[in-house]
Amino acid sequence: MTDTPQWNEEPMDARLRDLAKEYNRPRGAVPRDAMWQAIAPSLRAASTADVTDLVPRIERKRRHIAPYAWSAALAAGLVFGITLEREVLAPRSAARVAQAPVITRTPRVAVDPRDTMSSHPTPGATSGATMGASTSVSPAASLVAPSTRIASSSSRSAERSSTMAGSRGDSAPSTATTADAQQLYRLAARQTLVQAEALLTAYRADDASQRDQESMQQAGRWARDVLTSTRLLLDSPAAKDPQFRALFTDLELVLAQIVQLSGAPLQAGERELIERAMRDRDLLPRLRSAIPAGATAE
Amino acid sequence: MDGQQLDERQLIARVCAGDEGAGRTLYDAHVDRVYWLAYRMSGRHELAQDFTQDTFIRAFSKLQDYRGEAAFGSWLHTIAMSVILNGLRKSKRFEQREAVLDEAAMVPSLTRHAEPDLKERLAQAIDALPEGCRTVFLLHDVEGYTHEEIGVALEITAGTSKAQLSRARAKLRESLADFAGEWVHD
Repeated sequence: MTDTPQWNEEPMDARLRDLAKEYNRPRGAVPRDAMWQAIAPSLRAASTADVTDLVPRIERKRRHIAPYAWSAALAAGLVFGITLEREVLAPRSAARVAQAPVITRTPRVAVDPRDTMSSHPTPGATSGATMGASTSVSPAASLVAPSTRIASSSSRSAERSSTMAGSRGDSAPSTATTADAQQLYRLAARQTLVQAEALLTAYRADDASQRDQESMQQAGRWARDVLTSTRLLLDSPAAKDPQFRALFTDLELVLAQIVQLSGAPLQAGERELIERAMRDRDLLPRLRSAIPAGATAE
Repeated sequence: MDGQQLDERQLIARVCAGDEGAGRTLYDAHVDRVYWLAYRMSGRHELAQDFTQDTFIRAFSKLQDYRGEAAFGSWLHTIAMSVILNGLRKSKRFEQREAVLDEAAMVPSLTRHAEPDLKERLAQAIDALPEGCRTVFLLHDVEGYTHEEIGVALEITAGTSKAQLSRARAKLRESLADFAGEWVHD
């Protein structure tokens, strides 16, 4: 077993055992009462907690899960909304644009021969959504539809409103659709901002000395969900507003930092980095002023 | 033994029903052994006190889950071992950080004897043992736990416990080879 035993191991082990009894040998009386004073309150709490704390315990658990569930639902809703907008509303609006000349522009363009002649080559007529209106009906459908499909959401909205402006029959539903979409984005943006504000407030309020790896990972997961929503919103008409866009961009940076640093125990310097990013950009005050009073993450 | 176990079960039932006096009785019956173990493992009263308190707080909060399959003492010592080992790991990490700072800032003031006596050398050798070996050695050879009890407490097999003990003893013999002549003559 070892190189040393030229002697009998038994007496040596026995002697070691005897001597080892002196190793960290407790001296004096066990401080029973002092320790009991610290234990008794928790015993009382444990026995009452079984009955009275049942509801709070469940709520605590629910509160713990809620941010993730909420964020996941929001992200899913945004993805669904944007997909719906791109895949369903866009072709529909394209179809409307294609039909528009027949119903609205064509009477002015095609009925009046002077207009037909003059409008065709003018540069002004080729801009915007009315471009296809000056040509014949069937080619217009094939020309306008693809261009509408690849246009950005914002230009599509503009297209829709300008193309439909002359049509009394179609203007009401299209305006309603646009208003609905804008309302949806506004709502999603507001909810993301509320979540971001809650996350960053919790992050700052949390004591740095008590921040362990697990809590950092939780913050990281939460931040990842909010980051996903933020990036989706950056790619949506909600970011058309320059103020919102700037806010989302700054928020994206700070969230990305939190996500990136959440895998390992946080060093003081890393935490300072995140806090400085928040401070330099006035992120929390801007978030708070962008959130309407009374808005919650519900 | 059976009578004692019955009493203990009654006590546990009363503690679960919110009887603080029963909790104190249960505590008094086991606290010394838990405290001694904690002190033996940590060598510091304040740590031993913290570990003992944590052990009982955790045990009382989990008492509803105690099924009575093992003796209450064994169940409690499993909790104690977990609390002590985790606590020691944390305090060791802290002390290592402190030591690095101290080494950088301090002139060495802790001068040990050039030739420490056997007890001191043994204490140093025990401190230097790998964590698993040290724990098993202290539990078995000093505290008198069986390998089966150690296996349950540390969640290892009895065979592993025996192997760790054998390794610990060999390392101690090796470390104290200078004194071998003394106990041969004893």
